[in-house]
Amino acid sequence: MTMKAFEYASPSTLDLALKALAAPSSEALSGGTDLLCRMKDDVAAPERLVYLKDVKDLAGVKGSAAEGVTIGAGTLLASVVASEAVKASYPALWQTTLEVGTPQIRNMATVGGNLLQRPRCWYFRNGFGLLAMQEGKSLVRLGDNRYHSIFMTDGDALFTSPSSLAVPLIALGATATIVGPNGERTLPVEDLYRAPRTDKQRELTIEPGEILTKVTIPPAKGKNASYEIRAKQSHDWPIVLASVNLTLEGETVSAAKIMLYGVAPIPWRSAAAEQALIGKKLSVETAEDAGKAAVKNAQPLSMNQFKVSLTTTAVKRALLTAGGMKYWEA
Amino acid sequence: MASWPEHPRLIGTRIPRVDGMAKASGRAKYPSDVRPEGMLFGVMLYSPHAHAKITSIDTTAAEKMPGVKAVEVIAKAGATLRYQGDDIAAVAAETEEQARDAIAAIKVVYEVLPHVVTEAASMADGAPKIVNTGNVRKGRAITKGNVNDAFKKADATIEGTYSAPVITHVCLETHGLTAKWDDKDHITAYASTQAVGPTAAELAGTFNIPFTNVTVLTEVMGGGFGSKFGADLWGRTAAQLAQKAGAPVKMFLDRVQEHLAAGNRPSASGTVKMGATKDGRLVAMEAHTHGTGGVRGGAGFPLPYVYDVPAASRTHDDVMVNCGGARAMRAPGHPQGCILMEAAMDDLAEKLGMDPIDFRIKNLAPNDFHTPIYLGELAIGAEAIGWKENRKPRGQGGKGPIKKGFGVALHQWGGGGTQDKQVTCIINPDGSVELKSGTQDIGTGARTILAVIAAEILGLEVGQIKSNIGNSTFPTGQPSGGSTTSPSMAPPCYSAVTAARDALFAKVAPALGVQPADLDVKGGKVLVKGEPKLTWAEACRKLGTMPISELGKFQPGLASGGVGGCQFAEVEVDVETGVVRVKKIVAVQDSGLILDLLTWESQVYGGVIGGLNYGLFEERIMDPTTGVMLNADMEMYKLAGASDIPEIIVKAYDPPEQKARGVIGVGEPPTISTAAAIGNAVSNAIGVRVPVWPMSPRNVLNALAAAATEGKA
Repeated sequence: MTMKAFEYASPSTLDLALKALAAPSSEALSGGTDLLCRMKDDVAAPERLVYLKDVKDLAGVKGSAAEGVTIGAGTLLASVVASEAVKASYPALWQTTLEVGTPQIRNMATVGGNLLQRPRCWYFRNGFGLLAMQEGKSLVRLGDNRYHSIFMTDGDALFTSPSSLAVPLIALGATATIVGPNGERTLPVEDLYRAPRTDKQRELTIEPGEILTKVTIPPAKGKNASYEIRAKQSHDWPIVLASVNLTLEGETVSAAKIMLYGVAPIPWRSAAAEQALIGKKLSVETAEDAGKAAVKNAQPLSMNQFKVSLTTTAVKRALLTAGGMKYWEA
Repeated sequence: MASWPEHPRLIGTRIPRVDGMAKASGRAKYPSDVRPEGMLFGVMLYSPHAHAKITSIDTTAAEKMPGVKAVEVIAKAGATLRYQGDDIAAVAAETEEQARDAIAAIKVVYEVLPHVVTEAASMADGAPKIVNTGNVRKGRAITKGNVNDAFKKADATIEGTYSAPVITHVCLETHGLTAKWDDKDHITAYASTQAVGPTAAELAGTFNIPFTNVTVLTEVMGGGFGSKFGADLWGRTAAQLAQKAGAPVKMFLDRVQEHLAAGNRPSASGTVKMGATKDGRLVAMEAHTHGTGGVRGGAGFPLPYVYDVPAASRTHDDVMVNCGGARAMRAPGHPQGCILMEAAMDDLAEKLGMDPIDFRIKNLAPNDFHTPIYLGELAIGAEAIGWKENRKPRGQGGKGPIKKGFGVALHQWGGGGTQDKQVTCIINPDGSVELKSGTQDIGTGARTILAVIAAEILGLEVGQIKSNIGNSTFPTGQPSGGSTTSPSMAPPCYSAVTAARDALFAKVAPALGVQPADLDVKGGKVLVKGEPKLTWAEACRKLGTMPISELGKFQPGLASGGVGGCQFAEVEVDVETGVVRVKKIVAVQDSGLILDLLTWESQVYGGVIGGLNYGLFEERIMDPTTGVMLNADMEMYKLAGASDIPEIIVKAYDPPEQKARGVIGVGEPPTISTAAAIGNAVSNAIGVRVPVWPMSPRNVLNALAAAATEGKA
């Protein structure tokens, strides 16, 4: 409830932004739909905010279905939804973006901000730290973990990765470009994330002083889709979301990438589901098998067993959405 | 006995609320919008701990912070804090940011004490005792007839465990007021309250000044639902800070403290065993229930509910936890009792193989005045939802993963008024008409219905009446609670307006050379023996310079109490996701004579939407280890948005014999049975009982998984 005083910089070029971010305890501010809330809740207290929306080069969707699409990190979610290229080639991304927040949020929030937002774990948001350990014990394990992870739960990071856009972007093989004091580097979107081992580590690999500038999605081949499960129709977070990207040879799935949101502290790739599907013809049965394979090694916590069923369903329905077989709408 | 016009022109029609445009356009000033000259911002410091003792508190640094004008310590060293959100201190400063910074600078040393924030933890062996009298307070046991013998007559018996969580009021405008000292012993307070009079009395008592020295103003307000009946500690503190600082102080809770400390609806859980004969007549019920209302208790609820149970035995435990105390919330106790009773009724109907409506009808008390009302309402509701054509037996909701289901639930409420309230009606020589009363509009349309009554009686249009309420210095009005406002205020309004009209006739008749009894008003004209003679304005001009002012009091014959009501839900449940979508709610409601059908329907819509939130989304989630509320926000504390609202069909049950009962309140009844009807519709759709409210994906999938384990599904 108490937002600490901070310096505010509003640079108009990337170079100036990098300079402004070089000061200790600086944070990049874009749409502010996450950072400002964390500041008001006293979960974050940066000494300097560097506002990036005046760096006009950071915004915009470029490219086409044939050559692939580059989305500036400063692009509004509403602009992604408005992009014909995204809608036509990457329905997995388009649908997921459309389902983020509310129109008001999509008109403020940016792609970069969505990818780099911090976990929604209610222990973290209530000030108990990212791993929420107290006297060597996990508050999450002891407490209400209905919205926490079902994979990687032998570790201490039990929150779920909060970016729903990361899931389709990784499924689509997107890369992220980061600039920093030492120049530019490009990495797969999945490498933006890690499961922290200590409370001092962040779940994001981007270093202080660096700026995410864009994501680049290779040309779409085959079929891609997302399926999101949420309690409310209006403003709500996904409980589980699956994004799939399939390469088909005839009717046979020759390659598959299956990503999940809401099940692990990182965007979760389900190699088991992919393996279950590859070499098979996509059908309700094979999709169901892939969904079941996805949860074979799930280790739910005390209150989130239901996410295991949701994961099976989300994988199955994302696959069948890609395949144009929405059996549940029959 | 007074009576309402037999053929009303306005009463019972759809009349837009008089302040609707101001509210919709943002022009209406809510108490939290008011900013008197020189106003300071007040902020509360509240406990971060569920249970703690204050070892020391030091405000020295806070007092020296920029902009800080006054600091008030509420919980001194040695005081015990009994829940997260319990009040400790307050600051008034020139800006809200300065006040918040100062709050953060207050140094409090806590001795953290053991806490319990869940009922299970509170009732566990060896639980820390958080209340001197013990963590469990026995509620009143009910014994009616010999239950053991009665169960022997049962052909079918069910035993179910059902529960509903604690939910909070989530008033859109948080609790609070802005206090301004007009001089050393007069206060004006702009309060978000559903009771201007009691709020004034509380402030007067706090400062030992006469009631009449306090003016509480509530022009409009942003929701109370039973949680805003007084100034509250924060409101009294605002006045104290204002006194210290010599400037007005605004003090409205932040959203977190609103969830934590400003009231909640207690939880309810229990096992219900119920038996019936094979022809569908209930024979016995045995129930063991508990619930929590936080640190103060108050988790009782009615059970058995609505139906005639010949033999019943019930125990109830009120469980104390280190959480903010319960407050009245729209039909206190009834939604909980309705869930437990109606779930058991449905489960027993299922076991008997009876249609849930037929089973319910068989068990309405034969001599109860509600019974014919329920029969009429059930027929209307069943027709509107298409019960006969659409409803399938439990578990036959469709072949695909998305199952359709229908459910029904009944409710009842008192809703009668008081007899000691007053309204003044003033007719000015320029023809303007003003009503005054110290009641307020919690959002129900109280301001509008008073104007409707006056316009009806005076033959004017609603827009010609100035309806002045929300001022504690006006004639004593009814607090807006218990669905009592309309039945308390309509009779004195009728009396005041009738008396003012008659006084006008008495003044005008001599000028026209007729008897007052020859006069009537209609269509903005004064009639002599049925013939229009003067316009309303011309007649009023004959008053000279001074207005007519008549004080109206209660008269018998105009209001009553006691309502039934039923609701039907149509849902679609996705058994692979657990997601429940409510497709339609039908609400059939009686409430005597309806004054304004539009504001009446609006109350029913609001009640249904509140009930839908209770049925699908809402839940206060406490962390057992740290004792804090994990979802004290409007993000993870889930509430329906526009796209979650189904088609809502509202049907007034108002045959002539209902109208003849006079005015009855409708604020509470339409929120009672929505959640129960939704739960029953979900069970009908998926073939298994979801015993835990709300009907969230998690609770639905858990019920399906449990049934699968038991081999039922």
